[in-house]
Amino acid sequence: MSETMTSPAPLPAPAPDQDDPAVRAAQEGRLREAWKQPPGWRYLSAVNNTEIGVWYIATAFVFMMFAGVLALLVRVQLAVPGNDFLSAETYNQAFTLHGTAMMFLFAVPIFEAVAILILPSLLKARDLPFPRLSAFGYWCFLIGGVFVCGSIFFGVAPNGGWFMYPPLSTEQGGLGADIWLLGLSFIEVASIAAAVELIVGVLKCRPPGMHLNLTPLYGWYVLIVGVMILFAFPPLIAGDLLFEMERAFDWPFFNPDRGGDPLLWQHLFWIFGHPEVYIVFLPSIALLAMMVPTFARRPVAGYSWIVLSAVGTGFLSFGLWVHHMFTTGLPSISLGFFSAASAAVAIPTGIQIFVFIATLSLGRVVKSVPLLYAMGALAIFVAGGLTGVMVALVPFDFQAHDTYFVVAHLHYTLFGGMVFPLFAGIHYYYPLLGGNMLSRKLGIVSFWMMFTGFNVTFLPMHLTGLRGMPRRVFTYDPDLGWNALNLVSTVGAFLFAAGFLVFVWDVLRPKGEKDRAKRNPWDAGTVEWLQRMPPENWGARCVPRIESRNPLWEDPEFLRKYDEGRFYLPDAEDLKRETLITSVLDAEPIQCLRVSGPAWITLGAAFSLGGSFIFATFHWWTATILAALAALACILYWLWTGTAQHPERNERDIGLGTRVPLYVSGPKATGWWAMFITMTGDLTAFFGLVFGYFYYWTIAPVFPPPQIEGPGWGWPLAAAALFVLAWAATLAARETNARGRIGLARGALVVALGATVAGSAAILAGPWTHGMDPTVNVYPAIVWLLGIWTVIHAGAGVVMLGFCLAASLFGRMTPDYDADIRNVALYWHFMLLTAIVTALVTGGFPLIS
Amino acid sequence: MTETDTRSGETEEAVRDHETGIDLWRVVTAPTVWAAHFLVCYVGAAVVCAKTGRDAPLGAARDLVGWTTVVALALLAVQFWSLWRARGLSVSGGDLVFEHNSPEERHRFLCHVALMLTVLSVIGVLYVALPAFLLETCR
Repeated sequence: MSETMTSPAPLPAPAPDQDDPAVRAAQEGRLREAWKQPPGWRYLSAVNNTEIGVWYIATAFVFMMFAGVLALLVRVQLAVPGNDFLSAETYNQAFTLHGTAMMFLFAVPIFEAVAILILPSLLKARDLPFPRLSAFGYWCFLIGGVFVCGSIFFGVAPNGGWFMYPPLSTEQGGLGADIWLLGLSFIEVASIAAAVELIVGVLKCRPPGMHLNLTPLYGWYVLIVGVMILFAFPPLIAGDLLFEMERAFDWPFFNPDRGGDPLLWQHLFWIFGHPEVYIVFLPSIALLAMMVPTFARRPVAGYSWIVLSAVGTGFLSFGLWVHHMFTTGLPSISLGFFSAASAAVAIPTGIQIFVFIATLSLGRVVKSVPLLYAMGALAIFVAGGLTGVMVALVPFDFQAHDTYFVVAHLHYTLFGGMVFPLFAGIHYYYPLLGGNMLSRKLGIVSFWMMFTGFNVTFLPMHLTGLRGMPRRVFTYDPDLGWNALNLVSTVGAFLFAAGFLVFVWDVLRPKGEKDRAKRNPWDAGTVEWLQRMPPENWGARCVPRIESRNPLWEDPEFLRKYDEGRFYLPDAEDLKRETLITSVLDAEPIQCLRVSGPAWITLGAAFSLGGSFIFATFHWWTATILAALAALACILYWLWTGTAQHPERNERDIGLGTRVPLYVSGPKATGWWAMFITMTGDLTAFFGLVFGYFYYWTIAPVFPPPQIEGPGWGWPLAAAALFVLAWAATLAARETNARGRIGLARGALVVALGATVAGSAAILAGPWTHGMDPTVNVYPAIVWLLGIWTVIHAGAGVVMLGFCLAASLFGRMTPDYDADIRNVALYWHFMLLTAIVTALVTGGFPLIS
Repeated sequence: MTETDTRSGETEEAVRDHETGIDLWRVVTAPTVWAAHFLVCYVGAAVVCAKTGRDAPLGAARDLVGWTTVVALALLAVQFWSLWRARGLSVSGGDLVFEHNSPEERHRFLCHVALMLTVLSVIGVLYVALPAFLLETCR
């Protein structure tokens, strides 16, 4: 054990006297100091969830309003037949950007935004474990969003529809499709960052005593949605990669003349796209799950049924993607499977809705604006769900596909499942932001304007669609029977927009004395309402011990004990930002985690990574590489200076007679979980590419094509062997380091480095020495891409091994402080799997096919 | 409803170690079986139809779906039986509210969630198997 461990432990200090107001005031002063917002222009370097969450929400709403204006332009154009308000080209850009921005820049990010803001509050954690990662994700989102949206002002916005189907979008010139691809790939980075943060947040940052069965339902939903993001977004990243390789370098992944297939894009897009609908829907329903019990004045009826149906929905939502592709000519047996799963998903979705209705019927309902929005949401969502069952039936879908019926259906599900619950949530949680209430009167006015406006817009669209009006036409003839319906829809859209402006005004208007919120303004039972009004920046006065699901209802003394700091961590003795890490199932305290404070390095990392994506759009390859290197440098600096720092002592007294370590490594540590979660997502993207390889096998009469030489089996075999060696050496480094054999560990790291470089060369040597040209046919293209994917990951592996070596040489990594090598060894498990699968598929499969 | 009487009643709590009993992996086992069944059926049938042509009878695909369904249902039955047993072995409570503050209660709660997800997965598996027996060819 190290010297820090063997030095005599300081005598435990006597427990602070929480009865003494002076002691409490001093504690509060230190907490305020540790958690204070950076002043002035340094405000932009803030990383705390309260600041990032608010920026995130505000930015998502700005993008939403931008996309809403585009929708209004679309509606104006369609108001009367033969209109020339917008040109066909501008119309195409407007509807494409409307869909893109609403889905990628509003619907998904607003989930992350709201969750980053309120999840710590619901768990009474002072912050989530990776504040800088949240900040990094936010800046990525902002840069990518501005880039994508800004393109319309230069007339180069994407115009191929929000799902960018090839061959149209791979064949057309211009920058639109590239902006779409690269801008959104960059934003997907932000989503995966948020997923990591939120999953670890729910699993590891719950307050002591909050067993899984006592976790707020919002936490369950966030966990489920976080995991769904890990499996849904990466296939799209894989698809984006194929797409951009085709556009930039003419690798024919979607070109049938050279063995590709445009349908592969549809598969990869909708494997992402359908779960995404549920990724958007579940967190919003989660907001309802928090407020319905409050206004029913009773605990939610059937807590366990909500949890299990949310898990069930999460799974089943991955079996629905082909229902977007019913008219592409797939065999009817394939359609049958997806139609069946689409019908099955109605079961768990229905359970959730019925639980809310049951809770309201069993309770004594208190009327409020959030509940009004919630009821409106349920009504709209049920209508959207029913048309969903209609279009899940293949014969009906053949008729309705690509008509305004589908437009009506998707807007009903998204408004009922997401927009109205979100408004309800903002009304409900607004007091937590600044200690003010939103106006009841304005809330009711804006609700009825939006509810009416929504239905006036979209109810007639069902009929417009059934009368045959296709989506995405910029104008239509006057004698088709669509005129009146379209005019009504346009009027409704403006009514909705007016109602939304009332809502925006209510949020932004200056608040006076009469708007001040009292403590726990809705008389709720859950711990986020412990917050003082006006709120303090410290997240939690102390971390409470949880005994029930609704402590504020069950324990009349709870608020007083919390205010007097009679739970865990009532003080910031070292003036450092600290929060508690607990175990996954039963929330036993296992670590006092020091979280990082304000930093500029996250901005540097986000801007340089953003630069590399933006430069790639314009094919400025030198600038791209330089920006990527700058991003790498920023991230390394960030990791070295900001993560897993050595504490000045081993343990910390967190109160209530509990002492926990300040430093942990391996599966107990949040960093290990972050690596595990990130790499799970990464592996999913890799399997998206492998899926592509075998997809080409199913569609080709003979695959690999006999006239094209493969990479042979020798080089892939050598590569696999070298990667096994690198993996084994990494594990050896971890074990020898833990046993204090530091020299041996460093040697093992050097061996691993060498083997990785050699393995990377070997994996590329296969296609290189056999003269495979990736532009000739899809087969060499996919072989090269799998190899390149592996080499890029090996490159990351080299950086990590080098980091560990440097950390060992400079005393950052020691036998006791070994989080770095443990996380890197975890990475290498995934790296090995990637390398072996690549070798087997490219080298082995041609031998047996 | 049992909800109110367990709240007031002095339910005897079993002593269970922290972090033992049903965990999150057991909760997702049954839906994972559903997902695997779904993938095998879909990919298998798609490959059969891609390689034999659109007019070919479903024969091989139907056999594949049938046998995969048998295996999936058998796995789900094992899961159901083991969870049912774990549930019966718990000494505390008989309610479905799961609001007590103990590892045993968390264990019972996850047991119930996993059990009901098994039921949902069985329904899902049967739904997904149906098309193979209602259709005749790959068309």
